[in-house]
Formats: sequence, structure tokens, C-alpha cells
Amino acid sequence: MAHAIDVALLEKIKKHGADGTLNVSACFNCGNCTAVCPLAEDSAGFPRRIIRMAQVGMEKELLAQEDLWRCYACGECTKTCPREADPMQFMAAARSYAISRYDATGLSGLMYRSPVFNIIVFLVLSGFFSLLLLRRKGEMAMGSNGNLFSGYGSTQLFRFIPGEWVHGIGIALFIVIGLTLAFGVVSMVARVMGRKNQAGERPPYPIAALIPSIWSAIVDALNHDRFRQCDKDEPAPSEPLHLRAWFVHGTIMWGFLAMLLATTLDYLFKPIGSPVPPWYPMRILGLVGGLVCLYGLSIAIGRRIQAKETPYDKSSFGDWFFLVLLTATVLTGLGTLIVVYMPHPTLFGYVTFMSHIVLAMDLIVLLPLTKFAHVVYRTLALALHEWAKAPAPETAAAVATHS
Amino acid sequence: MTTSTQDKTSYRPDAIIVGAGIAGMQSALDLADQGLQVLLVERQSSIGGHMIALAKVFPTLDCASCITAPKMSASAHHENIRIMVNTEVRGIRTVRGTHFVKLFKKATYVNFDKCIGCRLCEYACDSEYPDPFEEGLGAKRAIAVPFTNAIPQKAVLDPELCTTCGSCARVCPTDAIEFDQQSEEVEMETDAVIVASGYALNSLSVKPQYHALQSKNIISALTMERLLAPHGPYGRVLRPSDGKVPSSVAFVLCAGSRDASIGVPYCSRVCCMYSIKMAMLLSGALPIADITIYYMDIRAFGKGYEQFYQNAKAMGINFVRGKVARIDPIEDGDLSLHVETTEDAENILQERRHDLVVLAQGMVPEWNPSIGTPVAVASDGFVATPMLTAPTSTTANGIFVAGVAAGPKDIVDTIAEAGAAAMQVSQYLHQKRGAAAVEYAQDPVLVG
Repeated sequence: MAHAIDVALLEKIKKHGADGTLNVSACFNCGNCTAVCPLAEDSAGFPRRIIRMAQVGMEKELLAQEDLWRCYACGECTKTCPREADPMQFMAAARSYAISRYDATGLSGLMYRSPVFNIIVFLVLSGFFSLLLLRRKGEMAMGSNGNLFSGYGSTQLFRFIPGEWVHGIGIALFIVIGLTLAFGVVSMVARVMGRKNQAGERPPYPIAALIPSIWSAIVDALNHDRFRQCDKDEPAPSEPLHLRAWFVHGTIMWGFLAMLLATTLDYLFKPIGSPVPPWYPMRILGLVGGLVCLYGLSIAIGRRIQAKETPYDKSSFGDWFFLVLLTATVLTGLGTLIVVYMPHPTLFGYVTFMSHIVLAMDLIVLLPLTKFAHVVYRTLALALHEWAKAPAPETAAAVATHS
Repeated sequence: MTTSTQDKTSYRPDAIIVGAGIAGMQSALDLADQGLQVLLVERQSSIGGHMIALAKVFPTLDCASCITAPKMSASAHHENIRIMVNTEVRGIRTVRGTHFVKLFKKATYVNFDKCIGCRLCEYACDSEYPDPFEEGLGAKRAIAVPFTNAIPQKAVLDPELCTTCGSCARVCPTDAIEFDQQSEEVEMETDAVIVASGYALNSLSVKPQYHALQSKNIISALTMERLLAPHGPYGRVLRPSDGKVPSSVAFVLCAGSRDASIGVPYCSRVCCMYSIKMAMLLSGALPIADITIYYMDIRAFGKGYEQFYQNAKAMGINFVRGKVARIDPIEDGDLSLHVETTEDAENILQERRHDLVVLAQGMVPEWNPSIGTPVAVASDGFVATPMLTAPTSTTANGIFVAGVAAGPKDIVDTIAEAGAAAMQVSQYLHQKRGAAAVEYAQDPVLVG
């Protein structure tokens, strides 16, 4: 089988590493990382095989590895690497590189490598969304909201920026982003599914197993089943439950999903801007989700600021950008929730509300270009891996009759 | 403890050698044969160093003690060599080219002048403990001659383990036992020093993933040397936990060096070869056992070493490329090794079961001379040798280094270097004494 060799591949991936310290050239392929990894499977050989692919410039093969996304960065490999080649950070950099290559626009590559470009994009987008929203600006009422807890504030807010306008832009963004992401997804799926094993064979990928594979990937992603196995290594995990990486990640994800669900249900079933009391179920869901998410984000950010130990000691700009953007979105969202129940509308309230909408739009629009994209690619990788394991229909039938 | 500034006999050696392993003995013999007076200082109770404990040497498979023992007796009987065992060097201060070496003579509670090495005290003693010479596998008494072929053949009493029952004193035919003996600090004047302080093996517990302290069947390389030695603790190879004859032995290379994650990034240079050697000896001792060497790469760089490695492969010793990431104790005292077999296309991630595991721990310096002496050490902890063209020179004028004290090396290189250090000392003394009429106007100039 012929390979197209990209001699600069390793250097390109290194540029995606945190603060340029990725020392993966030091790797001499001893295999310690794979053997110490709590997630590595017999067939996988990651991280070492993927590092090898990067070292010898096998870009096509590297981008066809769903295994890139089956690592959850517990850092065991980096802690024990005899060459301090930092396999964990390599995997993160390779994932980031893969996102930039799956993305047809080429923007995500620039976003990852250049913090300045990232910030400019963020500012331009934010400005654009602000101007767009203000085009339909209504009155900024400053009178009384009526009773405390009436929730009349939301009516006031949506008088300032019409709810239909916000939702209209939001839906348009979702469509645009969905299409952009679809390109990336198709690119990844085509690469992974086109991969042959050493015998030159491809897995059968039976259609019947498609839906079950996707379903199991979603269940795994929601449950953090695989992520939790990162704990299994030593007799007892060294950290209390509430500080373990998978739990912290879980709180961020579940909190985020709760907020997303609350917003969606509100959009579907509640007339825009209609006042509801604080104990309205969707409000409670949003509040709890926001607080849970905020807990996870504060731990994640705190540990990266402390930077005391692997895997928190090296953070790329992309890590920071995503965490800070998400935190800002959640904080302004919770702020808006408070504003809605204030007895009097304030300028601060309108600004918080506006910021929340703009930040949420930034978050959505940047999803395919930032670390946020892992939501899609990781789940996809889990599904593809599951699907590849499914036997061909004939074999399945044969097994069924045999048993 | 008493302190005296000068030895009572006003003995002044031309050179003091720190450490009486193979390097120190070779340097001492080479200097003494030139008519120079040499004081050989040894921290342990016998000279001979690590080498006298080894089974055989690579790549010739010669008996190690058959090479070491003659050097030991030659040193002991040489008219120009004096030996001080149980003595530590506590510091060196240099004044106008003269070194004042501070020696700490540990109390042995036995008068060496009277002791005749008859061992009656040893036979009478009731207090037993694991023998350090046998790496803890055999038993030793609280008062004992260090080991069979120790030099000097003098009993030494360990006050930590002695119950002061007095049995030894009662049986001693020469009244050599002195319970009131004191440790003593003396300062010895000399013109040249050779540091030949050698190495210690890195700790078994240095890599927590290997769980070496949880199983008696994860042993150090020196323990395996003792198991293989003809006069070893069991007289045959048995595994320590239950005395079973091992049927599957693993050697794990780079278990204590070449690993930046444990702070020892350098290569110890001997582990590949001694592991191959022991694997060969094992295949003789245990003809039906499976023997596997796990390696990252085999460094067989010396004369005849590559052929030695090829012979081992031809003998049927398994070589598996992959760094062992984890060792877990499992049932029956066996061990499970987690390794990625990086040269296999399939089944690359393996858990392999063995009933005895030898860790190639690697060498770390035995002594840090940068504390208390003008000798600087390099970043790896071994004595710094700044001059490329004089590899036995240190940063201190008149102080030289030989053997593993300067960096990991095998016996062949150690002996060559010890000879070179002796040559440098004799040349240095010659120049120094030729210019002796000229008063030293300033403090000695440091090299490098």
C-alpha cells in the first residue's frame, strides 16, 4: 500500500500543542504509554502508534484514526513516559490538528494556532451579532416590573430585543453551523471508514448496526462510561469523586445539556417573553443546570490555573478560550435569570441579557472551529468504533443459526 | 569518639584511594607497583566492592570472584598498600596542594590486631538477621566475618543487632572483642586522592508502577547475581517468596535508568549486558525455564558484546521489544507484566505472566563528594570530569576519579580507567615533587 508522506506533519501537529513545549520528537517508541494506558485495547496501540504515524508523516492514516478521540487525557502516559515526550499532550494536539483538517474552511486551523486571530474572530463576531441584534431594537423600559418574582422582566427584555429576531438569528446560525459541521463530519467519517487494516481489509459496517452503534455512542457520551475507566488503574482512585476528571467533565456537560433543554423547551412551549414565576419547571431546570455547569467549569479552570500536575499543567489557548467563553455564557445566562425577577429593569440587566445572547451565538457559531467540536467528533468516533466492531450480516446470521 | 589530627605512627601515604572496589584496588596496585605508598579506604567491612558479589562477568562468562579475589589479596598483601575498612571519608580540605582527608573509622568492637578470623564468635552468636552481602536472602550473625572470601578476614560486630549477651567475648581465643571500642575521626595528610566510590543500584521502589515492594519475587539484579553465584545463599536458583524453582523468568530493562520520569535520564550502560549474561547463566541453571528480556533497545557496544547478544538469541532467550509499563502481583506469587510488544503487528498489548522478575535498576552514585570536598559533581550526580583529554581529572587539582564514580561503566572500562587514574596520579606526583622546592604561593588552581 502506498503512503503519501508528509514530512512536516510532526511540526504541524506540534504547533497545536500547548505553549510550544510539545517534546514528542523525543519519543523512541518504547510503548510504555500504550501499556500504561487504562483505556488501550489489544488492537489499538495508541498513543504510541499514532505518535509513530506523526513521526513518519502518515497523515492520511493519522486522520483516519478514530482512536484519537477515544483518549480522555488522564495523563498516565505523560506521568510515566521515560522520555518526557508528553504523549497526552500529543494526543490533544493531534485531535486539534484533526479538527483543523476535517474543517473545510481552514479557519479552525488558524483559530488553534493563532491566539490573536482567535481573539479577532471573537471580537468581530461579537460586534457583528450586537449590531445585528440592535437593528430591531425596541424600547428600553425602565419602569416598574410589578411584583417581585412575577417574571415580568423577561417581557421587558424581549421588548428591547424582539424574541422572534433573536430566535430567527439563532435558528439561522444553527443551520449554517450544521452545514459547516456536516462537511467536517463527512470528512472524518469518510477517512475513518476508508481505513484498511494491515491485511488490506475494511470492516463490513453493516447498515443494521448503524443505529445501535450511534445509540451506544450517545449513551457512552452521556454516561462517561469510557471516561470513567481512566480511574481503574490503581487500587483506589487518588482523588475524591467530586474532583475526578470524568465527574468534573460530566457536570459541565450535564449542566450545559440541562440549560440547552430548558431553552429549547421554552422556545417550543412558552410564548416568547411571557412572564412565568421562578418555580416554573424550565426556569428551575435552567438554574440548576447553570449552577452544576458552573461548578464543573470552576474546578476545570481552577486546576488549569494552579497547573500543578498532569493533566492540568499544560493548557493551550484553545483550552482556555473554550472554557472562558463557556463560563461567560453561563454566567451571563444566570445573570439574565436574576434580572428577569428584579423589581426594576436596569441598564445592567439589558447589558447582561444582550451579552448572553451574543456570547451564546459566538459559542454556537464557533462550535465547529473550537475545542467545542469535540462534542461532535468524539461521539462520532465512539459510534464509528462501535460500528466497525459489528460483524458482517452473513456472519451475524451464521452465528445466530449456529447458536 | 576521639579525634586526632595525625595518625599516631605519622604515616603519610602518597595517595589515598576512596573506595576499594575493582577500580580502587586496580589504581592502588598500579600505584603501589611504582613504589608509591597508598592508603585504600573502604566504607564496608571488606574490600572487593560489588564485583566480589557477582556470579560471572560478560562477555567471557569468567568467574567474577576468580578475578576479584586475587586483586583483593594482592592489595592486602602489597607492602606499599595499607587498607582501612569500616572507614568513611567525611571530607577533604586542600591547603597548598596538600590534601587533608578526614576519615571516620567506625567502631567494629573487634580489635583487628588481635582477631585471627577463627569465627568462633560468629558460631557462638545467637542474633541472626538477613545477610546484606546475600541481598537479604541468607542469614548472618550480629558478629561475623563479612562473607566467606572477605578481606580482611576479621569479625565485625553490628551494635544495632547485638544483644550484648557476651557469648562472643567468652569464646574468643585472643580476647579481641572490645565492647567499649569508640568510633574515631582521624585526619590523614596526602598529596593525591583518587575517588573510586562506585555506585549503588537505584531503589526497587523508584518506579511505583512496578509494585516491587509488594512482591518478594520482583528482585534486583544484584539479588539475581547472588542466586546465580556458586557460593550464593541457596546454592541454586530458587525464587525468594516460596523457594519454587522458577519456570518463567523476566528481565525488565531500563527499570531504573533511561527514564526521565524517575529523574534518571542517562543510560547505565551495563544493564543490557548483565541481563543477557544472567539470562544465559539461567538457561544453564534452569534448562527448561522460559527466559524473556524486555528491552527498549539493546546496547551491546563493547568488544565482543554484540556477538554475546547474538549468542543469547541463538540460545533461545526471548527478546521482547517494549518498555514494561506496569507489574502487578497476581495469584501464586506470580507477576503480570503489562507491555506493548512494539514489534508485533497484532496482539500488541499484552499481559504476560512470569514467576520471577528481575529489574535492571541502573546505577546511581554511591557517594556525593561535592559535600565536604572540593570535587564537583555533574548534573547526573556523578563526579564531573571537565577535561576531555584527561577523563580521570576532576574539578579539584590533585584529586582524580576512576570507575563508576565518574559515570556508569562496565568492569572492563573501569579497570582501564583505574589504570589511567593511577598513571595520572604518578605523573602529578612526579611534577609536584620536581617543583617541590618552589613554595606554593597561592591556593591550588582548580581545573576547568
